[in-house]
Amino acid sequence: MARKISQGVSRREFVKIAGAGTLAAGMGPAFLYQKGPQKTLKIIQWSHFVPAYDKEWFDTVFTKQWGEKHNTNVIVDHISLTEIPARAAAEVSAQQGHDLCMFLSPPAAYEKQVIDHREIYEEVQRKHGKPIDLAVKSTLNPKTNKYFAFSDSYVPDPGNWRKDLWSDVGYPNGPDNYDQLLDGARKIRQKQGNPCGIGLSQELDTNMAMRALMWSFGASEQDENGNVVINSKNTIEALKFMKQLYKDTETPEVFTWDPSSNNRAMLAGKASFVENAISITREAEVKKMDIGKQIMISHALAGPKARLASEHVMSCYVIWKFAQNKEGAQQFLVDFIDSFHDAFKASGFYNFPCFPSTAPNLKEEISNDPKADPPDKYKVLSDVLDWATNVGHPGYATAAVDEVFNTFVIPTMFAKVARDQETPENAAAAAEKEVKRIFDKWKTA
Amino acid sequence: MAIVETRKLTKVFKQGQPGAVNHVDLETREGEFLVFLGPSGSGKTTLLRMIAGLETPTSGEILIGGNVVNHLPPRERRIAMVFQSYALYPHLTVYQNIVFPLKAQKVKKELHKQKVEWASALLGIGRLLDRKPRELSGGERQRVALARAIVREPSVFLLDEPLSNLDAKLRASAREELEQFQKRVGTTTIYVTHDQVEAMAMGDRVVVLNQGTVRQIGTPQEVYDQPADTFVATFLGSPPMNLLETDDLIVGFRPERFLPSGLVAGSGSTDEIASRMKTEHLLLADVGKRVPLRFRVEYIEYLGAERILYGALEGGRFPGKAVASRIPSGVTERYEANSVHDFIVPESELKFFDRASEKRVAPKAIPWQ
Amino acid sequence: MAMTNRKLGVLMFSPAIIYVLAVVGVPFVLAFVYAVGDVKIASVGYHYVGLANFRSVLESPTFRRSLYDSIIFTVGTQVVVLVGSTVLSLALKDRFTGRGFIRFLILLPWVAPVSLGTIGWKWILDSIYSVINWVLVHLHFVRPFDTPMWLGEPTLAMISVIGVESWRLLPFSTVILLAGLTAIPRDIPEAAAVDGAGFWRTLFQITIPMILPIVNVAILFGVIFVFTDMTVVYILTRGGPYDTTQVLPSLAFFTGILGSDLAEGAAISIFLVPILVAVAYFMLRVASRAEVG
Repeated sequence: MARKISQGVSRREFVKIAGAGTLAAGMGPAFLYQKGPQKTLKIIQWSHFVPAYDKEWFDTVFTKQWGEKHNTNVIVDHISLTEIPARAAAEVSAQQGHDLCMFLSPPAAYEKQVIDHREIYEEVQRKHGKPIDLAVKSTLNPKTNKYFAFSDSYVPDPGNWRKDLWSDVGYPNGPDNYDQLLDGARKIRQKQGNPCGIGLSQELDTNMAMRALMWSFGASEQDENGNVVINSKNTIEALKFMKQLYKDTETPEVFTWDPSSNNRAMLAGKASFVENAISITREAEVKKMDIGKQIMISHALAGPKARLASEHVMSCYVIWKFAQNKEGAQQFLVDFIDSFHDAFKASGFYNFPCFPSTAPNLKEEISNDPKADPPDKYKVLSDVLDWATNVGHPGYATAAVDEVFNTFVIPTMFAKVARDQETPENAAAAAEKEVKRIFDKWKTA
Repeated sequence: MAIVETRKLTKVFKQGQPGAVNHVDLETREGEFLVFLGPSGSGKTTLLRMIAGLETPTSGEILIGGNVVNHLPPRERRIAMVFQSYALYPHLTVYQNIVFPLKAQKVKKELHKQKVEWASALLGIGRLLDRKPRELSGGERQRVALARAIVREPSVFLLDEPLSNLDAKLRASAREELEQFQKRVGTTTIYVTHDQVEAMAMGDRVVVLNQGTVRQIGTPQEVYDQPADTFVATFLGSPPMNLLETDDLIVGFRPERFLPSGLVAGSGSTDEIASRMKTEHLLLADVGKRVPLRFRVEYIEYLGAERILYGALEGGRFPGKAVASRIPSGVTERYEANSVHDFIVPESELKFFDRASEKRVAPKAIPWQ
Repeated sequence: MAMTNRKLGVLMFSPAIIYVLAVVGVPFVLAFVYAVGDVKIASVGYHYVGLANFRSVLESPTFRRSLYDSIIFTVGTQVVVLVGSTVLSLALKDRFTGRGFIRFLILLPWVAPVSLGTIGWKWILDSIYSVINWVLVHLHFVRPFDTPMWLGEPTLAMISVIGVESWRLLPFSTVILLAGLTAIPRDIPEAAAVDGAGFWRTLFQITIPMILPIVNVAILFGVIFVFTDMTVVYILTRGGPYDTTQVLPSLAFFTGILGSDLAEGAAISIFLVPILVAVAYFMLRVASRAEVG
């Protein structure tokens, strides 16, 4: 009896997920290297959305060379991106695990368990110049002035649109702003049946897309100083817009979206527009899919107040306080940035540098990509820093922001309005209450 | 009331194997108490279950009240069955058990109570109506099962060894009661048992079954005294009939007809006989011709009043043949193991069977020496 | 000698004690300790905050929704499983050719790892590649761009998670009921048949009442199993669309692990306790009654 009750406890889930994570991790090329008198550096990170990044560069080339150079046995374990938080929680709880743990969003909650990464920033800055603002805002806690992570790269979150469908309804260059999105997507839906694919689900892409929409309408969950400002006129306008967009251009499948759904929807030739990293077109190129030629990349859409989108992924490495090989991990990150241009290329321009000087010819490179069709398909990303920002914008990515993010308060708010479960006003008020509740909890922490 | 008839009724459970029931032809009489008697595995229960509709015949026909019922489910055959285990519904009270067939057969609700009371009164279980089966004794359960069977006034009763779960004492009285009860309600009854005493005591007629075939149908008297074959002869009676094989014949005589020569009328003076008997129990008065046999007693079984002597014949035509004798209660004569005595069998009591077919044949004279 | 026996006894018994303490006792106590503290996933130290977490949880509409969803999910699954396993166990009770194989097939979902099975279902119910929708489209029941969104409509999504959870639980329940049915002497349904009862009367007045104690066991185990399970919801819908399939265990996970607020996650999971205690109480009662009867 007692046993059954205890199963309700979150620890149980925690152990379960941690177990699954271990399994997945075990699939990585762990312990492939001979053990010698050398040191060991253990890294855990996601299975990259561009598989070649892991297989052809990170695991097989970079970490190997680095290991040889530093007489270190580098072990890289890969896990699915959705397993990362549970895995990290398990490592913290056990106070052991990997030396380097990579998150895909700012891990502010872990601040007390990690070293201050300031030294790494300083060392890299000395070599490569200042990091972009996005990196700083995503990894610095302004209250404690501690860098709780080190961000090497980020992934832009542009629009993906179907050239054939959009040309057909009079937008040969795709949508540039939200009004055009609504108009064009509506016409495509009516004419061809293809729906728009912006998610309204409890997942990463929706979280990003909804924030982009809010910012472009001048709304945000917090202000620069971390005050909750989500219940605003601008939020309500954004909600109304999304409701219209859903009703006129989407199907309920957007409520089922997971992080790879819009990739599939686009590649299956179903969706007319999604917001996603360039993994969609990259996959089409690798698999030589005809549809790839029709999928074009756009900037963040402009709204009434701004043209802003979130980073799609914020790559954040942390070094645990309990890490066995802190020095090695720090050295690794510094050297990683030295080689970042290789990483940029290996990822197929998926990972953009947080230290721009590591890819000085970024614009030219992405404007003339031999794999892309047309070769300048990714050129629009060259001004990404003008329109990409961090989660928590215009403030910092704090632990409270992270919980709001991971409990999907904003996607839920939008979904409820889209489905007429709530009026925009009530939904905004409810979200405000929830965000405030979460912010209040973290104020004391 | 109805007549149950089977025509060439056959049941084969597994193809290629001998049938459990083979070509059984029989017919009950109106209101009759018919007993299916046979050892276990003789097919008697299968036969009953086919009549009940719980088993599908492989071939042949079943008729109830003149209609072929082969394809009717049990509930449309107007039968009632009492199972060996009684099969009372354990979650229902006695009342609910008895009323169940009425409900199932959509008898008018207002009649339920009255009918249950009638049936329970008939079986003397009126005070048990609120109990659950597990709170009842074996005898009480059996009565409840009977009450459940009669309450719907079926045209045929089928009883599958209903007394076998009772202890010996209870069984005797239950047997008596059941018989009385059947006479009272007068419903055609088929009763399955492996117990010859029950069969003899209760049956109007007995159907003796072995290996799925009917060996003999007749009154208890007939099947006992005029067994149709050696199986019937040896299955009935305790101990079974003594059989002696000779050439193409088998000669049989019952142990109770195999008696010390001195005890049989005509073998000595009447006084002598009377002096050797404590009771007026008469053995064989005027038996006519007798066959003398020398009997070596090997051991003695005391059954209270009676004794059974087991041994072998000495000399004569059948030296060493194992035989038994049943000495009635009145006889005070002492017998000891390994003593040899003169016994006789009245010639009129000898049964003759064909050695090949084992069927009974007309008496013949055989040389005994 | 007595001492040796005593030592041996302690030695033999201690694994059970250690197991119960380590795997049951410690996490259980920890959950209560967390729920009244301020433990975040990476926090250092512990401060008692009283019922603050519970107040916070109760204020959250998501929590209230999850409580409601948990009940719908649990009850719905039980109903489906009960009907399904009754039908299945009745069908599988009697001998027929291929019964062993069919029994094996039905047991498969139970032995297959839950995550694998559920991921299979995720694809079956996927919005783009759903086989069900493919069939429906090809049979011209629905139009290509207007297929049912099994995981996207609140009602359909709840039906889907209930369906998949039922699929998982069905073998367990079927095996239990099968055991119950096999325990009914053959005479009883035969007596009912002779008494004039048809299939339904026999089923509802004889068979089901007779296996009721064992059905109770199946229900109680099922309730505990479903009420505490988050795997199906986590994999299929992650609680969506907009929390309409969010259940307490998945919410506890999202809040406690993903949202980094362990204390609140623990507080949410504590709400499972009263219901589970009630279920456990009934279970013990049924168990003891079964022993007596």
